[in-house]
Amino acid sequence: MAFIEIRQLVKSFGSFRALKDINLDIAEKEFITFLGPSGCGKTTMLRMLAGFIVPDQGTIRVNGHELSSSAGMIPPEQRRMGMVFQNYAVWPHMTVFENVAFGLEIAKVDRGQVGERVARVLAAVGLAGLEQRHPGQLSGGQQQRVALARSLVVEPSILLLDEPLSNLDAKLRERMRVELKALQRRMGLTFIYVTHDQAEAMALSDRIVVFNQGAVQQIGAPREIYERPANLFVADFMGLVNLLPAVLLDYADGIGRVRIGAYELRATVGRETVAGSGHVTLVIRPEAIRLIDGMEGENRLAGTVTDATFLGNIVDYQIDTGSGMLRVQGDRRAVLEPGARVALAIAVAECIVMRDTG
Amino acid sequence: MAYATPADAPAARSSLTRWRQAFAAQSIVLGLAVAFLLVIVAYPLLWLVLAALGIPGSLTLEHLARVATRARNFDSLVNTLQLACGTGLLSIALGVPLAWATARSDMPLRGVVHALVALSYITPPYLTALAYIILMGPDAGHFNRLLRWLLGLHTAPFNIFSMGGVIFVIGIHVFAFTYFLTYTALQSVDASLEESAQVLGAGRWTVIRRINLPLVAPAITGGALLAAVDSLALFGPQAILGTPAQIVFLPTRIYATIGGYPPRWGEAAALSLVLVVLTVIGLAIQRSYLERRSYITVGGRGVRTQRTKLGGWRWALLAFCGTVVFFSAIAPIGVLVTTAFSKNWIDPPTLANLTLAHFNAALFNDQIATRGILNSFKLATAAALIAVSLGAAIAYLDVRTELRGRRLLDYLAILPLGLPGTVMAVGILLAFIRPPFSIYGTIWILLVAYVARFIPLATRSANATFRQIDASLEEAARITGARWLTAVRRILVPLSRPGLLVAFLLVFIPAFGELSATILLYTGGTETIAVAIYRLNDLGQLEVVSALAVFTIGVILVLSLLVSALSGPGAVAAHAPVR
Repeated sequence: MAFIEIRQLVKSFGSFRALKDINLDIAEKEFITFLGPSGCGKTTMLRMLAGFIVPDQGTIRVNGHELSSSAGMIPPEQRRMGMVFQNYAVWPHMTVFENVAFGLEIAKVDRGQVGERVARVLAAVGLAGLEQRHPGQLSGGQQQRVALARSLVVEPSILLLDEPLSNLDAKLRERMRVELKALQRRMGLTFIYVTHDQAEAMALSDRIVVFNQGAVQQIGAPREIYERPANLFVADFMGLVNLLPAVLLDYADGIGRVRIGAYELRATVGRETVAGSGHVTLVIRPEAIRLIDGMEGENRLAGTVTDATFLGNIVDYQIDTGSGMLRVQGDRRAVLEPGARVALAIAVAECIVMRDTG
Repeated sequence: MAYATPADAPAARSSLTRWRQAFAAQSIVLGLAVAFLLVIVAYPLLWLVLAALGIPGSLTLEHLARVATRARNFDSLVNTLQLACGTGLLSIALGVPLAWATARSDMPLRGVVHALVALSYITPPYLTALAYIILMGPDAGHFNRLLRWLLGLHTAPFNIFSMGGVIFVIGIHVFAFTYFLTYTALQSVDASLEESAQVLGAGRWTVIRRINLPLVAPAITGGALLAAVDSLALFGPQAILGTPAQIVFLPTRIYATIGGYPPRWGEAAALSLVLVVLTVIGLAIQRSYLERRSYITVGGRGVRTQRTKLGGWRWALLAFCGTVVFFSAIAPIGVLVTTAFSKNWIDPPTLANLTLAHFNAALFNDQIATRGILNSFKLATAAALIAVSLGAAIAYLDVRTELRGRRLLDYLAILPLGLPGTVMAVGILLAFIRPPFSIYGTIWILLVAYVARFIPLATRSANATFRQIDASLEEAARITGARWLTAVRRILVPLSRPGLLVAFLLVFIPAFGELSATILLYTGGTETIAVAIYRLNDLGQLEVVSALAVFTIGVILVLSLLVSALSGPGAVAAHAPVR
């Protein structure tokens, strides 16, 4: 039995189907991320876990106890969860101390203990000394830490985080990422994290749940989802990708032959893709395509550079193969000018055949 | 960390029950609010329709027919339409140039002009009407005497007791609608729109004619329609200036129909329905016009505006604006103040003529006046408290929950905004003069009327306040362990306190000086300050009336400034003016 069990969850808002039959198991102390574009259902799922939304159908169980069903639900205040909101939701009329102490006060914790526990959690998030400040006097990053401290002080076993880093600037976001991960390890909490940023999801998560249009597209470890996307949506969402229309010619032992224009390539074929042949899409990450000098490597193609954009760490090329455009990432130390003829090679494992209907 | 939530099944079940109870609590709040609103808003309107159809009694269309067949009724309809057209046009003639001057020109004293327009907006128009009796009364009016002396005329040039007089006095009040809407629209026209035209070679007048005017045209038309609709309902000036000249409008005709013996309820109800129809048509056109043709995103941030440099012309413009605000604010309020402190209002305001006796009479001695002041304070306070509580409950359901029926509730709570006070009073009279809610003759009927009339202001204000407070603030409290009521008490209430105080004041101010509904609903002992002013004017005691008027304007002004201080400049447009 998993720690959190989500079964056949359905939710509609009017005619909009926000969640369609969600099934999900989450282990204790796991860092799990709900990833997807806006409107995909990830936030609805999180708010349902918190007890702010009643499901139309299905159940949510934690540790064997039913928390939500269409018949009713345990209210948020009795779930012993913590939640960090996208806009922090730090109470502007209370000091940092009062914000953090609120939950303890509600739980009628002994006064002497309150000060001690607040001090400890503020030290843990790096806010010691700011107890008497009002939120208006704090930076975005500091408010974020207040929100974290406020959720952690009541010692929840599950922490829900709704895009907590999206309002921070890039540098601070990176630092908070590291801190969040360390905090989760140290405190042994179950983190359920919502974001639309695939890089953030990959950096933080033990497992990622990719949502789209109210349905789970794929569940898996970051690497698995990046390298073995379950469908075109996941492939496209998880980063830059070349999508080439192709024809599947034949197939044996997980390897197929596909034709793209004048080229015939060998590619990895997923089990679900096998049924039927004909028109498919070939999925190739830009960084998987190598610029080669001679005849080395498999799946060789030739092309002309049509555009080169210097991005600092890499050079981003558009290459016309005569059978479709390819986006390729090259070394910054050897910049090719537009018009240059190039040879390309792609490992069979990096060419994935998919059907258009994800 | 062990998972500590519902340790066993019975606890879980009791939590589920508790959740249902919380849900039930919300339903009870909704139910009570709906019931209350139905009784004070929908039930009187129902009676209005029934009475117009002859109920109680036999079903008949006779009353509705009489609106057209009885000459006095038909006259009042024609007069009312004339009044609306006149004030609508006047509001454009006065409001648009003033708005352009303060919003887009480099005219001096722009801030003063703007503030004085706001002052004419918050001054109850029935007090302006009284002031103009003193200024332009046919015999002894100050302006008449001045001009006769200056020009050696034998007859008085002005007679305020005329159709022109009523249009003038109402026009210098309602032009503020056109002014504020046009002003806001002009302020949100980004300078780049004008500069684009200038770059293409357009001159200053071409820019105004081809760019500015078309952009703000919906606001001008919308403002004029609002001004016209509003003037339909202004019982005070219509009665004070029209009735002595036997010029009857729909509200004063309704008043006379009920005031006569025996009161002709059916006819009054039928006339009220006509007034409602006129109002609804006007507001519907105004609304669709503003919505369909609005090119301007009001309140858009980062708008950069450019003031036109007028050179010497700015003094000419200032002269025009100065004349308008002189007649709309300075002269009427000034003359009320000098009259209130004068032994005799005819004589010039010298030291020898100075007295505090009228204030003494108004505030301490005159029985009706003192009772009126006390009643007005009590009623306005109670009405504001009830309206804010009810409005906050309705707004909460609308903003924070997804309960079915909340939209209907919201609509019901906004509906009275479009209803003339006279009409609401007739409905309330019909509904509350008989069981099961027979409260006519008591002060409660006035309280019902004020809550019903001004609940939209409290609801709108509370709604705006709650919308500014993100729901996540309460949710954060819930997930941290606070129950619904605790989250509301500890988070929502403290954060919305300034907004709810504004809501309180927004109801208190118009309730304090309310005249058009009160005049039909008061009885001996339940006079308010407006009734005292109205009745003392009938008795010709202009000095005591002025003292009461100055006191009323003082209270309204102080509270309005408090509203502005609490909610920032520009808040005056949220007011419902006193009438």
